[in-house]
Amino acid sequence: MNGMAIAAVTPISVLLRGEPDSLRAWLEHRDSRRLVFCLGVILSGAGLYGAAMGYWRAPLQAVYVALKFPLIILLTTLGNALLNAMLAPLLGVNLGLRQSLLAILMSFTIASAILGSFSPLAAFVIWNVPPLSSDARISAGTYTVIQLMHVAVIAFAGIIANFRLLQLLRQLSGSALTARRVLIAWLAGNLFLGSQLSWICRPFIGSPGLQVQFLRDNAFQGNFYETVFRSTSWLLNFD
Amino acid sequence: MDNANPTPSPVPPQLPATVQGLHAVAPLGQLPDDREPIPNVVAAIEAILRQPRRVMYQLRQPGSGQLIGAMLVVAILCSIIYGVVVGTFSMGDQLWAAPVKIAGGLLFSALLCLPSLYIFTCLSGSQARLTEICGLVVGLLMLMTILLVGFAPVAWLFSTSTESVNWMGALHLVFWFIATFFGLRFLSAGFSHSKARSSAGLNTWVIIFMLVVMQMTTALRPIVGKSSTFLPQDKKFFVTHWGDCLNAEPAPKLQPPQAAAKTP
Repeated sequence: MNGMAIAAVTPISVLLRGEPDSLRAWLEHRDSRRLVFCLGVILSGAGLYGAAMGYWRAPLQAVYVALKFPLIILLTTLGNALLNAMLAPLLGVNLGLRQSLLAILMSFTIASAILGSFSPLAAFVIWNVPPLSSDARISAGTYTVIQLMHVAVIAFAGIIANFRLLQLLRQLSGSALTARRVLIAWLAGNLFLGSQLSWICRPFIGSPGLQVQFLRDNAFQGNFYETVFRSTSWLLNFD
Repeated sequence: MDNANPTPSPVPPQLPATVQGLHAVAPLGQLPDDREPIPNVVAAIEAILRQPRRVMYQLRQPGSGQLIGAMLVVAILCSIIYGVVVGTFSMGDQLWAAPVKIAGGLLFSALLCLPSLYIFTCLSGSQARLTEICGLVVGLLMLMTILLVGFAPVAWLFSTSTESVNWMGALHLVFWFIATFFGLRFLSAGFSHSKARSSAGLNTWVIIFMLVVMQMTTALRPIVGKSSTFLPQDKKFFVTHWGDCLNAEPAPKLQPPQAAAKTP
């Protein structure tokens, strides 16, 4: 399929197949419909998966996470847009602000589409696990299983999306090394900001022992990395 | 049958594959892109990110003072913007004190180091004029500060959600190191076109510049935290100051796993 053929229609299959020529055409032509398409896939895909994620705790938690999950993706993309647009040319790929923003949005769109496709499976798992109960031991075991499942699905979606982004960057730069450099720089920035945004927007699954909330009362107290550091310190001091 | 094709080509306009190599072997001005003028501030920002050779070439031309002035204005504006973000951690007086200290400190550090850079470049056999050296240093400041503005949203988010001065100080230092790396890369690329016999002088200067800026953060403290005075009352070496900061802040409270499990 050539670039112009997908200019009018933006099937998700083109994104998922990661056809570099087609994706390159996306970047080179201004088209607000593509932006709307990407936003739609992110809102619906990540939203559906978020709903499945939160449903184990409570239906209200499902609604909250359905809103928060796409929000984190969009805030991460926007928060790092300027930085990513500066890093791309500095590291050797000639992309402007709009193009780098769209490239990252496209990779998040792929991830969201994958997550959306997994949301019925996640919902099925949630439906089959023991519900939240007063027995803390059972709930804690279930909670761990659910956590691991989400980690596996989100990691899979992230890996595929970034692999597609790498293919696109390789096509744009003509060099595998340059493409890797830019991807790693973008990933580092997005992971750094995304982790903190996720920390602020907690809870997602919802701890059995805590109430259902959109944001925790102490959402803006402390940060993700401090918490990791404290937990690591606690582990190292444990005897 | 002629080759004229009245219909537009279905092939979209192609993005240039890569940006110009910083250390490209072609002498400055040999590539047509190098000679394209830089008419305004926006073009200067675009050029330093995408076509650094264009900036280096323009710095060698007569009347480069205007470009240097424009780049300096961008550097000052960007450092003020980043300074305001730094100030949001403590708020209050730091909202104006941090931008003043960051912009002033960077400019003062560059001024302090400029003469030594000129001497080092001359000792290395470089043909660069003082104006060109000034331009490269201003380019370093501009690239560094526009990158800092790129980091500003992340820095702001952490400023609003952490209470640890050490953590924020370390984060700003990491951002500064990354920005400085790219700035120094530009300076070094410009230097490589000046027919210098060796880069040892420049490498020495880079160390001096880094030390001066790091000491400036201590001389102008506090930049992140609060204080009753605008400038510090006692003098310290920056390593001592950092050590004191680490010892002064209470150790993080160790968290038992039960408490950790309650914050997913």
